[in-house]
Amino acid sequence: MEKTKTKDNEQSKLRAFLTGDTFKALLPLIGFAIIIIVLNIMTQGKILTPKKLRLLLSQIYYPTIVAVGVFFVMTLGSIDFTEGSTLGVASLVVSALSFYSIPLAILGGILCGAAIGAINGFFHVKFKLQSFIVTICTMYLFRGVCAYFTTETAVPASAAIKALDINELKIGITLAVLIVAFFLFKFTRIGNDVKAVGAGETAARFSGVHTDRVKFLAFVAAGALTGLAAFVNVIKVGSITATAGNQLETQILISLVLGGLPITGGAKVRFSNIVVGTLMYAVLNSGLSILGYDPQTQQLIKGVIFLIFVALTIDRKALKVIK
Amino acid sequence: MSQRMEKLKRSKYYGLVLLAVMVLVVYGVFKILTPHNFGSINNLSSYLQSSIIYSVGGCGLYFIVVMGLFDFAVGSNVVLSSIVGVILSQKFGYVGFVLGCLGCGTLLGLLIGMLYNQLNVPSMIVTVGVMLVFESVAVFVAGGDKQTLDPAYRFFSGAPGNYILAVLAFLLMYFILNYTRIGTYCAAIGSNEFTARNMGINVKKYKLIGFMLLHFFVGVMAILSVSYGTTMTALTGMSTMSRNFQPLMGTFFGVAFRKYGVPITAIVVGEFIISMIFSGFVALGAPTTIQNVVTGAALLIIVTLTARGGKGSVVK
Amino acid sequence: MDKKALLVAEHIDKRFGMTHAVNDVSLTIAPGEVRALIGENGSGKSTFCQMLCGIYTIGGGTFTLDGQQLHIKNQVEANDAGISIIVQEMGTLSGLTVAENIYLGHETPFVHMGVKDTRAMNREAQKLLDEYGFGRIKAGAMIDRYNFEDRKLVEIVKATYTKPKILVIDETTTALSQNGRLELYKIMDAVRADGRSVIFISHDLGEVLTHSDTVSILRDGEYIDTVNAADVTEDDLKRLMVGREIGTAYYRTDYGTPISGEVVLKVSGVSVPGEINDVSFELHRGEILGFGGLSECGMHEVGKAIFGASWDRKGSVTLADGTAIDSIPTAIKHSIAYTSKDRDNESIIINESIRNNVVLPSLDDLANRGLLSGRKLTRFAQQFAEQMQTKMQGVNQFVSDLSGGNKQKVVLARWIGKNSDILVLDSPTRGIDVKVKQAIYALMAEMKKQGKSIIMISEEIPELLGMSDRIFVMKDGRINGEFLRDPGLSEEDLIAKMV
Repeated sequence: MEKTKTKDNEQSKLRAFLTGDTFKALLPLIGFAIIIIVLNIMTQGKILTPKKLRLLLSQIYYPTIVAVGVFFVMTLGSIDFTEGSTLGVASLVVSALSFYSIPLAILGGILCGAAIGAINGFFHVKFKLQSFIVTICTMYLFRGVCAYFTTETAVPASAAIKALDINELKIGITLAVLIVAFFLFKFTRIGNDVKAVGAGETAARFSGVHTDRVKFLAFVAAGALTGLAAFVNVIKVGSITATAGNQLETQILISLVLGGLPITGGAKVRFSNIVVGTLMYAVLNSGLSILGYDPQTQQLIKGVIFLIFVALTIDRKALKVIK
Repeated sequence: MSQRMEKLKRSKYYGLVLLAVMVLVVYGVFKILTPHNFGSINNLSSYLQSSIIYSVGGCGLYFIVVMGLFDFAVGSNVVLSSIVGVILSQKFGYVGFVLGCLGCGTLLGLLIGMLYNQLNVPSMIVTVGVMLVFESVAVFVAGGDKQTLDPAYRFFSGAPGNYILAVLAFLLMYFILNYTRIGTYCAAIGSNEFTARNMGINVKKYKLIGFMLLHFFVGVMAILSVSYGTTMTALTGMSTMSRNFQPLMGTFFGVAFRKYGVPITAIVVGEFIISMIFSGFVALGAPTTIQNVVTGAALLIIVTLTARGGKGSVVK
Repeated sequence: MDKKALLVAEHIDKRFGMTHAVNDVSLTIAPGEVRALIGENGSGKSTFCQMLCGIYTIGGGTFTLDGQQLHIKNQVEANDAGISIIVQEMGTLSGLTVAENIYLGHETPFVHMGVKDTRAMNREAQKLLDEYGFGRIKAGAMIDRYNFEDRKLVEIVKATYTKPKILVIDETTTALSQNGRLELYKIMDAVRADGRSVIFISHDLGEVLTHSDTVSILRDGEYIDTVNAADVTEDDLKRLMVGREIGTAYYRTDYGTPISGEVVLKVSGVSVPGEINDVSFELHRGEILGFGGLSECGMHEVGKAIFGASWDRKGSVTLADGTAIDSIPTAIKHSIAYTSKDRDNESIIINESIRNNVVLPSLDDLANRGLLSGRKLTRFAQQFAEQMQTKMQGVNQFVSDLSGGNKQKVVLARWIGKNSDILVLDSPTRGIDVKVKQAIYALMAEMKKQGKSIIMISEEIPELLGMSDRIFVMKDGRINGEFLRDPGLSEEDLIAKMV
């Protein structure tokens, strides 16, 4: 009798821990560790060779840059599905301008992305349309634009820009973006504002936060960063096809969720979600391909892991009605 | 006077006239711009034949969207179900084809509904995960090959087969909306979930039913899609995402015209309008890649006109 | 126990967090009786009825109908047991037809083998509508086609066609025109003639006296008395509604202190469509200005309008120096603070830490050239949360864990931290226990001493009488009366201008 009681007690303690915030916050790191260990055993250590690590790093530059922008949007509790098509269109702009001047190409990419973000933000804020609906529409629209310009042939970039394919440069840009964003998120009121809107928009408005402006700017930032990522992408690929950036948005969504970012946004968002998430996605990706799984098996495993992670990390208290 | 006008504005006929005017305007504009390449009787019939495929899916999505839910797995289920149907048709003929598509579709709808209810996660997110899984399963089932529907089983690939099936689907939709509790309860859940629960409605059960119904219609859409195109290729990499949006546009039309009591007509006419616009652009000499631009812009305009949030409402 | 009792309520109890909404209420209602239930805002009458009807779970005690104890989980079960309610808010659902609304949850008679006989359902619904004399409402039409009043009539049909043993009417009459009211009275009479009973909640005491047999009075969640409608006057009822001892110790005790002539805020011709109409007044330095009225009188919107939070506001709100206040950020920048009645949605961010809630309006002040220091923010939050004596584990605790009183302390802490000169406090002591109430009153008196001006919007009359230098009473979106601080001023005086 006594024994079962303590057992029950332990079980309820365990359950409290498993559903508690501490566990939810640690889950991404635990998951990351498990994935690395499992993959490392399964690949017999092949995943941790310097060569593989370098390859792995080279895969995460532009997703990380994009994820930083989406991070701000998702902290609002909104969602942005346009990254892939924005990357495609911005890459076209970068390629076209790269024949004139590299700085102009970078600037053009960023402006192009920011403009697409501004369109998203405008429709979302001005007409009070759900962000996922708006960005689905614009995703389609700009995917079409990208396809239109690449109908006949792939659009090439200049040789000058391809010559910039240096790891140090790409690492530099990625780190710079991470550091600047971290600084803004942590040490200016931007972070507070964005989190406040995500956690309680009405209350944030009554506390003097310019909620509409914050939301609009988050979408612009997501677009602009995707524009910058387009530059890194062009350096790497050299010419743009209709599929440039295809499904990037879903990849980013999955990465951030794997990183522990609650889909509801708000107070429990952590900057580390970006880094952990994109790394985890990349490790998973390269691990599964080293193991020799075909793409469909890889996707199956990713899908299942994604569902498990969402179910474990979501903050149901923040959702009054689950739609 | 203004009161009578108000009343007229809310009547069923006002909705129907509005739809008719939209059809005529779109038709008129393109007919004037390209009189020779657009809008012959033959042309119109082909626009309609491609649009009814999406209308069927739009009808299914209506149940879910009306409840305030969403589903990104429609496209992947179209692919998976039609592949299952084609494979079964090789053994069991028409019976295998039709039952394969419908059965596989409905079962996967049941699966999605159960996952949604169990995980307690927004439907939008669940269905993204499910889409990844369905896509890869479709590749496994297809064995990596293009699946071609045997010419012996192509009754639904053109008139009158496709019309018959689609009209049956529309009638079924009409029946469910008007002659069962399901239509009432879905609308009630969408209007106010708390009140609905208070009225004794089993919300979880009807959400599950909603997903099953949607994917039954997706099964019908699978039959029509694979018959129309005669082949179906399973691809991973979230390539089925784009198949979600054409039905969705019809659904948005349906939701917008719900207040006039003519959702199904609006779905069918709405898809037809979109199909005309797309063909109109092609007739003008735009490359087919323009389709996405048209789709995106049209959707954006529709939702801007119909789905706007109220003042002070929190929209994520 | 009386053999003739139709409904017996014994020791009914309900708490919402710290608030004791219904406190051990027992009632007996006889068949063929129209029982009015009256009391001030928050007296517990609606909560009582909503427990009876399965909208809220019963906190304690039992309801016995016709000798059978009720175990009701939702509204449909209540309907089946013979209890129907017509609620204050919109009770019909958009996107459904009139007939679907009437029979929602009760479709079974029309469903045969899963097929719903819509035509029969529409026909029956139309028959009902015709019988009630609402024939112009068409059963097959979408409910969205009809206005608020017609939708209310549909709700009346929905609630009464089953011939419930107990019909609850919860402040429905305010939404109805004279015609609609007459229809409702007819239905009440029919129920009574049929040997069934009505529980009638209304603020309109005249209506209560003419249309009910007996009147029960609730006050602060407690049962006070039941009287025969024929034996009492409106004044008697008012006295019973308010007659509580005012805990004078909580409130200011000074009278006759002159108010400064210096105007700090001028509100002129402010209207918000559907809420308030042409409201004008001036707020003086060091003044506590009270706003009273019934919940829906528009006074809550006045607070929002001053804070620049109203949509479609007309008219102007200006400071002494002529600065126009037209948005929340301008209001905050010019030292106006606002606490909302809807504390959990509009005042604080529930799913956020105490620290981030307290610092939010002051971020610009705390930033050094745009840069924030985490330590400085924590110290700031700590200082003011502690000054307000907030019970917390630390400033990083989430607000969602706190009680109503402590949440309000967090709200006040942020505005004290912001050092605002004009405070608009909407229902500052709503759902808060006595100790915290006392602290808030003391704080208000202290602020007044410092020369800060306070607009206090409150549904609690004693609080208005005890704290305000001046009181505006509102009715139907307009200011309906002005009272100056006076020990002789009574609750009846204010109520007379409210109803």
